[in-house]
Amino acid sequence: MNVPLITEATELAIAGVQISNLSKRFGDHLVLDDISMNVKPGSVTALIGPSGSGKSTLLRCVNLLETPDGGSITVGSQTIRAGDRVKDRELLTLRRQVGMVFQSFNLFPHFTVLRNVAFPQEKILGRSREEAEARARVLLERVGLADKADQHPGKCSGGQQQRIAIVRALALNPRVMLFDEPTSALDPEVGVEVLTVMRELADAGMTMIVVTHEMQFARDVSDHLVVMADGHIIEEGDPAEIMADPREERTRRFLNAVLER
Amino acid sequence: MGDALLIVLLGLPMTLLVTVLSFTIGVIGGIPLMLGLRSRTRWVRLTCRFAVDLIRGVPPIVWLFLLYFGVSFGAIRLDSLNAAVWGLGIISSAYLAEIYRGAFATLPSGQAEASAALGLGGTVTLTRILAPQALRTALPSIATYLLSLLKDSSIASTIGVADMVFNATMFARQNPATAGIVPFFIAAAVYLVISIPVAVTARRLDTRLRRTA
Ligand SMILES: Nc1ncnc2c1ncn2[C@@H]1O[C@H](COP(=O)(O)OP(=O)(O)OP(=O)(O)O)[C@@H](O)[C@H]1O
Ligand SMILES: [Mg+2]
Repeated sequence: MNVPLITEATELAIAGVQISNLSKRFGDHLVLDDISMNVKPGSVTALIGPSGSGKSTLLRCVNLLETPDGGSITVGSQTIRAGDRVKDRELLTLRRQVGMVFQSFNLFPHFTVLRNVAFPQEKILGRSREEAEARARVLLERVGLADKADQHPGKCSGGQQQRIAIVRALALNPRVMLFDEPTSALDPEVGVEVLTVMRELADAGMTMIVVTHEMQFARDVSDHLVVMADGHIIEEGDPAEIMADPREERTRRFLNAVLER
Repeated sequence: MGDALLIVLLGLPMTLLVTVLSFTIGVIGGIPLMLGLRSRTRWVRLTCRFAVDLIRGVPPIVWLFLLYFGVSFGAIRLDSLNAAVWGLGIISSAYLAEIYRGAFATLPSGQAEASAALGLGGTVTLTRILAPQALRTALPSIATYLLSLLKDSSIASTIGVADMVFNATMFARQNPATAGIVPFFIAAAVYLVISIPVAVTARRLDTRLRRTA
């Protein structure tokens, strides 16, 4: 796993993400209230906050798994404004720039590991089966899972599944990667394998937004820390500074609660 | 006894024909109905829901009578075989649509989300990601339905389709003194002989698919 995850520098066309005055409601419940956030190209933003504060919803708005009710989202040069009719073409263009990794892995259980990584490349990048599978094998090799290629995901451990999920997204050459608590379903020892891959990805210069409770990862790897509560950003800035000396009482309480676990 | 067996067996091809044709109509017809039940457009969903409940809410024998005695296209009436096949086919469509829908509903929402997040379109997500998984889940129910359809195909005898039960009834009527209920015992045995292998195959297939899942 010492080989950098992304050596083909040309493949990494990085993009930034701007979120402006974003709001989202579920029924009467305002889950995101006027959120603005700027993620610089090639930077890593960690998103923390108590359960129900809207972290997942914010992440899911970036690739339009949730439809925002107000504000706008810009990924690279593409801007989506809430209320505008999003054409299917635009939606797919956006999603193809943005990779996402879920807490529950969500690999396709009826495909082998290799097909999980190759199939989306064939459909989305128009690669031939041979080309896509060759690329899939290279990427699986880099995360130490070459021997799992012909197994079904159900036969893999959680840590392995999550690395496969990361590779599946990376195979499409995304310009931004979103991670929603990628290690929360894993034992700490296993989570480390996944965090290692994410760290390599960050070192390679990928733009990343990571919802996480891994404070060490947030401090060591992320460039920017955003603290959310009740649909608002209550504090943001340098991760080490905020962790050492939070300005907000709510941040302090949240950090204490997480660190006690 | 020998005569009864022969006569009942002569009805077997018709029993199989009615079952296979109406099952085929159901397997195919269930797909658009299932898509309708899952539609995001409210009126489409409600219309399909109403159709499925209506079809399932009336006994099959009543549907066959309605189709056979009630439907005419100009001077042309449906013959008994057509009425039976289309009647049972439409009923199968409704039941299978519901089975398909249930199977899709059991899939974790993360599957469709992951597919969407990768940038795969709706059609690819449905046909390549969700449907194969749903089909696996649905297979035991589909096999169970096929078995009940095989038995229900005997209803076709009431509108004159010469299947096993029809022939058994005929034989019993023509030989009131000697036949007794023997022809029906024979018919029962033949139904069992066909059903059991289907059930066993379905169970084997199910365990095999479960292992590879
Ligand atoms: N599909 C939905 N329908 C209705 N309410 C929802 C939906 N999704 C999320 N919510 C609500 O929105 C709020 C924010 O949810 P969200 O999942 O974004 O929080 P979170 O910060 O990711 O929490 P956690 O740390 O538990 O994952 C919660 O109150 C949640 O109940
Ligand atoms: Mg969440």
